[in-house]
Amino acid sequence: MKQFLSLRKNHNYKMNKTININLGGYAFTIDEDAFEAANHYLHTLTRHFGGSEGAVEIMQDIESRMGELVNKNKGSKVIVSKVDVLEAISVLGTPEELKDVDFSETQSGEKKTTTGSFQIKTGKRLYRDPDDKVIGGVCSGLASYFGIQDAVWVRVAFVLLSMAGGASAVIYAVLWAIVPPAKTVSERLEMMGEPTNVNNIARMVKEELEELGDKLQDTFNKKSHKHHHRQPPRGDDKDQMMTSGWSWDFKSHTPEKVESPAPYNHKDFV
Amino acid sequence: MKLDNMKAQMRKGVLEMCILSLLSVEAMYTSDIIERLRHSQLVVVEGTLYPLLTRLKNAGFLEYYWMESNYGPPRKYFKITQEGRTFLNGLKDSWTEINEAVSLTSQKPQL
Repeated sequence: MKQFLSLRKNHNYKMNKTININLGGYAFTIDEDAFEAANHYLHTLTRHFGGSEGAVEIMQDIESRMGELVNKNKGSKVIVSKVDVLEAISVLGTPEELKDVDFSETQSGEKKTTTGSFQIKTGKRLYRDPDDKVIGGVCSGLASYFGIQDAVWVRVAFVLLSMAGGASAVIYAVLWAIVPPAKTVSERLEMMGEPTNVNNIARMVKEELEELGDKLQDTFNKKSHKHHHRQPPRGDDKDQMMTSGWSWDFKSHTPEKVESPAPYNHKDFV
Repeated sequence: MKLDNMKAQMRKGVLEMCILSLLSVEAMYTSDIIERLRHSQLVVVEGTLYPLLTRLKNAGFLEYYWMESNYGPPRKYFKITQEGRTFLNGLKDSWTEINEAVSLTSQKPQL
């Protein structure tokens, strides 16, 4: 049984897709999970600074600086990994670290509503858990949704119900079909009902990396190789290239509040 | 009243003066400004600086120009304006006053 479990766990290894993006004028090929982290970070900051004077300009500055930092962290690698993005975020500062920055012209006056919390979504959502599944991950998803510690009880309930009546197999199939799997880090946080903020994502990524490090250590223990725990999940040679040409366009993601264009003066460009 | 909070307030108070002082010597790229401020332990994370620079620019104390870079997209260089210099002098005067007041009050009375 134990062997089966570990086997199942190893089968969950996922390769990263890569995406082509334009971050602050730098062109990157970036891992999908790294992209998620960067995108979420910039969105959260946009909300944070939204409505303040010069928000567009501030975000442009931050985006180009982020591009520069990521480019530096990437070094000679071809593909940007999540670690590169997280390091850039730690230099720039998480929204929590930036929250007491006074960015408005008026010192007193109305407090911005955004200065409270930087959660994008707090609501729990029902997802299937692809990392903890027997068939489709429906039961583990339901367990997370209803806050049941061990998904085994949900599975037992489903099996018992199917023996008693038979409808639960149908229900399972329907749920399997209509409930989306939690693929990205932010989706997994939503599944567990944790607020998706940058700190949570960073913590989750760290956990994932440590888990991967443990796996690698298990694999290579026989050869008595010592592996670093923070080894990034790289599989560059196996990565599937997805040249979607996606680019993070700040303007299209600005909240409606920010309508005034950046106060560009002609002399700015001299 | 928390010590950390007080410290943050004091830092925030002098940060603008420090930025203007740095830029009164030469035009600088943002990350150079940050590097200098970090040496003096005034700035912990970079993100705090961008809103501040934008604010100072909008107030007319700073202006910027674009400079081509060999490594990537053009960089934004900030420099101080005449108005900014006047403002900085005002800040420096008041800083001197505060400094004197602090050293006067924290000295042990001479007998």
